[in-house]
Amino acid sequence: MSQSQKRDAPKARPVSQMSWAWLGVMPFFIFAFMFLLYPSSTIVVRTFQDAETGSFTLKNIINLMRDPYVLGAYSLSIKISIVTALGGAIFGFLLAYAAIRGGLPRFMRSSLMTFSGVASNFAGVPLAFAFIALLSPTGMLTNWLKAVGFNIYDYGFTLFKFWGLSLVYMYFQFPLMVLIITPAIDGLRREWVEASENLGATTFQYWRYVAFPILLPSLLGCTILLFGNAFGAFATAQALTGGSAMNLATIVIGAQLRGDVLGDLGLGYAVAFGMVIVMTVVMIGYSVLQRRAERWLK
Amino acid sequence: MKHLILKNISKEYGGTTVVRDFNLEIEQGEFVSFLGPSGCGKTTTLRMVAGFEMPTTGTITMNGAEITNNPPNQRNVGMIFQAYALFPNMTVAQNIGFGLKIRKETESAIKERVDEMLALISLQKHANKYPYQLSGGQQQRVALARALANRPQVLLLDEPLSALDAKIRVSLRSEIRAIQKKMGITAIFVTHDQEEALSISDRIVVMYEGRIEQVGTPFQVYNFPETNFVANFVGTLNSAEAEVVDSAQGLLNMDGIQFKTSQEEMKGRSTGDKIRMSIRPERLSFAAELKKDNVLDCVIENITFLGSVVRIQVKIGNARFNMDTFNNPFLELPKIGDKSQVTCSQEAVLVYSGEATA
Repeated sequence: MSQSQKRDAPKARPVSQMSWAWLGVMPFFIFAFMFLLYPSSTIVVRTFQDAETGSFTLKNIINLMRDPYVLGAYSLSIKISIVTALGGAIFGFLLAYAAIRGGLPRFMRSSLMTFSGVASNFAGVPLAFAFIALLSPTGMLTNWLKAVGFNIYDYGFTLFKFWGLSLVYMYFQFPLMVLIITPAIDGLRREWVEASENLGATTFQYWRYVAFPILLPSLLGCTILLFGNAFGAFATAQALTGGSAMNLATIVIGAQLRGDVLGDLGLGYAVAFGMVIVMTVVMIGYSVLQRRAERWLK
Repeated sequence: MKHLILKNISKEYGGTTVVRDFNLEIEQGEFVSFLGPSGCGKTTTLRMVAGFEMPTTGTITMNGAEITNNPPNQRNVGMIFQAYALFPNMTVAQNIGFGLKIRKETESAIKERVDEMLALISLQKHANKYPYQLSGGQQQRVALARALANRPQVLLLDEPLSALDAKIRVSLRSEIRAIQKKMGITAIFVTHDQEEALSISDRIVVMYEGRIEQVGTPFQVYNFPETNFVANFVGTLNSAEAEVVDSAQGLLNMDGIQFKTSQEEMKGRSTGDKIRMSIRPERLSFAAELKKDNVLDCVIENITFLGSVVRIQVKIGNARFNMDTFNNPFLELPKIGDKSQVTCSQEAVLVYSGEATA
């Protein structure tokens, strides 16, 4: 072949029509369809469907808006979600920051992460039982405190009401906060503290102008996620209160679908539909804030 | 009066000494580089000037006032970090104006100074961008402007170019030097890149294992290295073990091959001393062109084209030496395996005690 002759370009590898990798992710898609998309779309459809005739109706939504029992359930769910989200976020953040940046021994971080991984998933009946054994009127800790002359029930505390349930929720809320805020705390670079000090800033000014604004999207995003976590919780409240003492949205849905109260299936779907909307807003909010945080922390 | 004085500075971490007996005086407006390998203590020394580390012993004086124990936010020194350290939640203008805002300067004064700094670094069009929207070189220029906006007494640069690609590095170092000269600010530049240090410094402090090995101008450090480490670390060096055979005459013996060195290099040496003999590659040339004090038989072992320079490896006795010659299109290169002769002046033969350290 002469110098002037061009060599044949190497043939491009044929593009595979179908990657085998799709096979690996199929179980996820099947699972998501069966247990997320299908039930969600069923909720949406049945919310606008007459339970008897199957025709389109807004009756369920109207009933929901007019029913003080349901509105009270939403209100209570939102209140407990806000309280435990804020409590979990503040406590969880301080705990994570202390373990990661507080100059504590390294094992503190790994111990906290292991505990948080377990505790954030410890909910439902076992958690309710643990707290009943500990803080019910005849619970172990209650009795110990009684023995030293301090009966918490004399001071208005009840495990089975708002603050009691909030305390129980906090058990899985703050570990979840620890887990999800850790990457943001890790992302705070030592040079930012030094650069701000070098420019004359005090520690307070560093936090006010640099660290807090950088962490804010992550903090808000994580708080929103905690809100969603509490808002969707059912088994813990049901097991702790028996479904009667605390009228949460999730308990109302269960009651309506089981037919325990009025047995209004359509209303149950409408309440669930409301929850789907709240959770969707939560997820979008989290995702937007997380993206903003990542942009700054990358 | 010297602008910055570091006197008897040492730093220990848990019993390990990382900086020892460091003494240096820097003039107002001088550009001094700390040069050395990783772990030599150059960044630690810089951080002690910034106030991020406290010296175990010694004092730091700036403009006649001792600042050894002052916290970093009360030193009025500007610092540029290797990884830029721009605040990601602030725009370019906000980053530059941050220090002025902390000083509670008026909005108009901040704006005026920020505009001045933006013009200095030619980034006026990027004032409202966030750091993540800028290239590495642009970010480091913003960091420079931010550090200068507060009118610091000393500018500290901690390997500011090492995260940048080669071309940007060269252009930005010239820019940093030009700005430093224009503003007349005293600067300390930490680097492990000898070319960087040689190209922009008024003086270089070569450090090794926490100690100062040599302080001098780039010319002095390169041409008259005071220690074996400096000779090896700064520039490329041919080095071989030899013996002084006649200290009065400056004669050395390397495996039966005789070299002549200058009387200057023989100071403090005696006949029979085991020494390390070093020659810079550019001080060797083919003897056919011009014979100097040392004319040595050699065999061509390898030829490497380095762009502006051609590096020829020759074997003299059992030792391999590199010889650098400027490239030109008419250069007639020998062939590998050819026998030839190389030459160098007696001043080119440097003599050190002990083993090579770099």
